[in-house]
Amino acid sequence: MSQATESEERFLIEAAQKDPGRFAELYEQNFHRVYAYVARRVRDRAETQELTSHVFHQALANLGKFKWRGAPFAAWLYRIAANAIADQARRKQRETNEQPDKASESSTLIDLEQVERRALLFRAVETLPDDQRRVIILRFAEEKSIREIAGELGRSEGAIKQLQFRGLENLRNRLNVN
Amino acid sequence: MAERSNIDQLDDALTAIAEGRHLDLTTVEPQVSALIDVARDLFGLPREAFIAELKQQLKGRDAMSSPAQQPELNQVRSVSIHLCVANGNAALDFYREAFGATELMRLAEPDGKIGHAALKIGNMVLSLSDEYPDYGSVSPLTIGGSPVKIHLDVPDVDAFAEQAIRAGATLVRPIADQFYGDRAGDIKDPFGYTWKISTHIKDVPIEDMQKEVDKFAQEEAAKKEKKLTRPSLRTVTPYFTVHRPAELIDFVTKAFGAVEHFRTTGSAGGMHAEISIGDSMVMIGGAEHITPKPTAIHLYVSDVDDAFRRAVDAGAKTLMEPADQPYGERSGGVEDAQGNRWYIATTFVPLHTIASDLHTVTCYFHPIGAQRFIDFVTNAFGGKELMRHAEGDMIMHAKVQIGSSVIELGEARFPSQPLPTAIYLYVDDVDAMYEQALKAGGLSMLAPTNQDYGDRSAWVKDPFDNVWYLAAPIRTT
Repeated sequence: MSQATESEERFLIEAAQKDPGRFAELYEQNFHRVYAYVARRVRDRAETQELTSHVFHQALANLGKFKWRGAPFAAWLYRIAANAIADQARRKQRETNEQPDKASESSTLIDLEQVERRALLFRAVETLPDDQRRVIILRFAEEKSIREIAGELGRSEGAIKQLQFRGLENLRNRLNVN
Repeated sequence: MAERSNIDQLDDALTAIAEGRHLDLTTVEPQVSALIDVARDLFGLPREAFIAELKQQLKGRDAMSSPAQQPELNQVRSVSIHLCVANGNAALDFYREAFGATELMRLAEPDGKIGHAALKIGNMVLSLSDEYPDYGSVSPLTIGGSPVKIHLDVPDVDAFAEQAIRAGATLVRPIADQFYGDRAGDIKDPFGYTWKISTHIKDVPIEDMQKEVDKFAQEEAAKKEKKLTRPSLRTVTPYFTVHRPAELIDFVTKAFGAVEHFRTTGSAGGMHAEISIGDSMVMIGGAEHITPKPTAIHLYVSDVDDAFRRAVDAGAKTLMEPADQPYGERSGGVEDAQGNRWYIATTFVPLHTIASDLHTVTCYFHPIGAQRFIDFVTNAFGGKELMRHAEGDMIMHAKVQIGSSVIELGEARFPSQPLPTAIYLYVDDVDAMYEQALKAGGLSMLAPTNQDYGDRSAWVKDPFDNVWYLAAPIRTT
């Protein structure tokens, strides 16, 4: 679970500014942060995906305008995300003719520590042993039941439950280490 | 056993969270409770497929799949024109002389063939190359024209056109003041490209332009209305008058694949039917009590031998077995049971290359005095002779254009005896054509009359005993 150092990140940004093909590396470094940030405010999966996609497309399109001022690249992405979430909320209000939601205005202030923690958790899934990782992904990303997963992987429900348990244990341990 | 129970406890809790049910944590082991906290954050874990797909999109390989989300990526910054020409060097010379172009650069092969050249006309930069058919670059001269026209806005359209024409361009649409406020016209360069050139004269509101467009559309519609109401009918339509029309319909269907469109009772109490053969419409009518007027037809088909055999099978008498003819066709002849002659032919070249209005069914006349016959149809109906083949004074074969049709004729000679017939002739103005036909030597059989089937018609018999039914839709105004 490597996180880029400041100088590495700066190098990646400059490389992507010269060659948009290099943006993939910045994307990989930051995907889970942006996704976690958006998911914090938006509960619906489809909407979270849409907004996350928007943030990265915007970032790629405007990368030339990004100036290094010492703040991490993620901060810039968070700002794009915050604007996108606010725009989306305003659009919805217009469409549904609802009064502005006071709570949503204030909650653009998101606890970034929580976001970072969740992003780490998402990334940590990738490092699990293969059978645990598959169960965790099917359970939490694909939102399947134990029975469905057991059918899909050809194992007993008990075995799947056990893998789920072990997987979550491993994730907790990794977060505590971090 | 304790762990086993923890495993179940955990799954119960996760299922409850997933289903949005209330969760009672009081009975849960602390070890499990810690894992539930981790799991709460895991709900909403992004899908791998989404992560990968978005990455693809950002790499640009799949950029088009979400254009709305990345407008900046698709923003066009400039449009420029690339011309493929049959002779790049000549084109560069021409554009310099005609349009005052300046050459910016050229990449040429050792033999001078232009791979790429850039030139500037006014403030527009365009590029051109020679033809590279292997790479899909072909010029308008190779493919028979270009549907794309290039518009040049110039300070003095007349002077510009003059210079271009001096250099070798041709004027396609004359330079004139246009309703949209420009003085404009079209010129074509020697390489097959059309250039619309214009100079702005005055601003015209869009509403006024639209009014002009509406007016134009109305005029076009009126023009169409003046034309035949049944566009499948060409100027000359043969009218087969026979004793037993149903039998003839049966014959042309079997022999020539004719299609019957309708049949009704005609004005003289016999049958009237309209039948298409190939791309042509013919009329078939008559009855036992009506004098027959058989017709001779030059029938252009794709397979003369096949049509000939089917005609004979359907009961026709052989006049001439199919054979290659020196005049550019393979042809044979039959006479059907009611005396109509069918000269069936397959031409060695596409029909329309012989005459653009030559069609499947072409009326063939055998007048005594072919020259006088040509004179008559010329004077009476505005006919235009397209070709003739004569031996001495005798016209063996000739084609005459009448309106949108071509008729054919040859001097009556054995075995081609005169065969006076009846012909429908669709015209713009029945009354005028009737007067003209009488002046040319026609005999009136019916003065112009409105018929209850919607035509105004007049009947004229020519000096060769053919009856011409002049017709046009009755004008409502």
